[in-house]
Amino acid sequence: MNAETLTALRLSIQVAVLATALNALVGIPLAYLLAKRRFWGRTALDLVVTLPLVLPPTVTGYYLIVLLGRRGWLGAPLYELTGWTVAFTWYAAVIASTVMALPLLVRTARAAIESVDSDLERAAFTLGRPEWRTALEVTLPLARNGILAGLVLAFARALGEFGATLMLAGNIPGKTATVPLAIYSAVQTGESHQAAVLVLALTVLSCIVLVAAGRLGTRSA
Amino acid sequence: MSMIGRVDLAIVKRFPGFTLDVAWTADEGVVVLFGPSGSGKSLTLRCLAGLERPDQGRIVVNGRTFFDAATGVDLPPQQRRIGYVFQGYALFPHLTVGENIAFGLRSRPRAEQRRRAAEVMERLELGGLENRAPRELSGGQQQRVALGRALAVDPDLLLLDEPLSALDAPLRRQLRDDLERTLRDWRIPAVLVTHDLSEAYQLADRVIVYDHGRVIQASSKTEFLWQPSSERVARLIDMRNLLAGTVVKAAPDRIQLRWRGQLLEAVNSPARAYLPAPGSPIAFFIRPEYVRLIRKDRMAPDDHHHMNVMRGRVVGEADQGATWSLRIRLDEPGAPVQDGYDLEVEVPSLVYEILDIKTDRFWEFSIHRGSIHVLPS
Repeated sequence: MNAETLTALRLSIQVAVLATALNALVGIPLAYLLAKRRFWGRTALDLVVTLPLVLPPTVTGYYLIVLLGRRGWLGAPLYELTGWTVAFTWYAAVIASTVMALPLLVRTARAAIESVDSDLERAAFTLGRPEWRTALEVTLPLARNGILAGLVLAFARALGEFGATLMLAGNIPGKTATVPLAIYSAVQTGESHQAAVLVLALTVLSCIVLVAAGRLGTRSA
Repeated sequence: MSMIGRVDLAIVKRFPGFTLDVAWTADEGVVVLFGPSGSGKSLTLRCLAGLERPDQGRIVVNGRTFFDAATGVDLPPQQRRIGYVFQGYALFPHLTVGENIAFGLRSRPRAEQRRRAAEVMERLELGGLENRAPRELSGGQQQRVALGRALAVDPDLLLLDEPLSALDAPLRRQLRDDLERTLRDWRIPAVLVTHDLSEAYQLADRVIVYDHGRVIQASSKTEFLWQPSSERVARLIDMRNLLAGTVVKAAPDRIQLRWRGQLLEAVNSPARAYLPAPGSPIAFFIRPEYVRLIRKDRMAPDDHHHMNVMRGRVVGEADQGATWSLRIRLDEPGAPVQDGYDLEVEVPSLVYEILDIKTDRFWEFSIHRGSIHVLPS
């Protein structure tokens, strides 16, 4: 394995870990909200979160550029204020992977939260627990396996993310070129040996993740 | 803890295709909401607990207003001080028995929590089980943990939603006894939901009968069983021999009626002053165990010992263990009024054997006038 390969691997894992952490932070509360609350705009929120699952990743990437690019809705004011833009940095790869992975976590976690017997939550209410403590002490612990499985799926998705990352973060070797992007470059430039090594590495990693997810799945059943 | 928990409730809650519109009050220890599934009993319980918000009305328990649509009062469940025993118990599966019981005590000092949980477990004979998971317990133990968890916080009112419906018959009977003992021992006012007649009768001080989202009778438990306020109530409590006759003559103390060619005399209830016009239809019921079989080896029946005498043939029978249920078809022209028979009669198994009813099919019966219960329509 040469240095470039190792850099791509390290970057991929770094991006996937951070994207998974962001997913946990945003996705679990979001899943709880969608599962438990009826509020204005709920359907729209559900739609926005789920869309990256069905849209081509390049389309999601395009929307991310419109939002976060140097001239984007959020990106432009940020650039004016700080002179910095997220586009074409490795943070962009994290954001792209997070958005692409989010629907997997939210859908899995939401199903797990919805499958918790609501009488258990009602019991906690009658025993004096406010809703947020009921969520922390009853609902989320009982939905734990589903949530963990969702996080594993999100990790796997982040690890393999290609299209949206390419759009927002580009394919800069050593900077934003994660393994899937590095594979694409290697094939394009005829470095078939390096492509094969990266493909193998990603396959092994994905297998480990899937086995882990399978374990969680059977334990929750 | 006061023995008397006054519940004052008048609520309306609308759903597409179903409206709950009930009002009742109760001072008694154990109030049973009785009625068929889907009649709104559990919904009432959830409204009492604050888990469901009525559209209109008022709920006052022990002088504390839980809900009042007019003034906008709506106490959250956390502040109502009620204990709730859920259908299927809803024990926290990820916590131990001890943690389940102490769940509602979290705001108290740790030592106090432990003391109270231990005391509750001791009283409910759960000692030694504190580190078990709920799924490792028997049905009876689970019920006691659910009761203990609700009672540990000293609630003003205990609500029980079909506490025995998840169990099979023999266990159910046993747990019914346990539950009755616990309710009496803890002297706690309770509202219990059931669609099981014997459960209602055993546990209740007062019975509120629900049907299609309305209250159709509210009475003490004896009145509930012996004086159903209407034919509908009698049907709900699965009254056997619920029959339809014609009034011949009604007086405040007696009612004469005609049924299947028989002239029957029944006791009227002076208190209710039910005086239907002659010729009008009348519903009545006769409890199968109160129909007397006239023994052929004794003296001929006389008017003093036997009244409302009729003659018939056994056309069906069922062994019920301690008793036999006989289906009797009267010696009268015309089709029988119940499904192939006219009257169900229950006799002890010993009588069935001694009189050899298996082979001897023709009998005379008598019914005391006090055992024919007329039902105001």
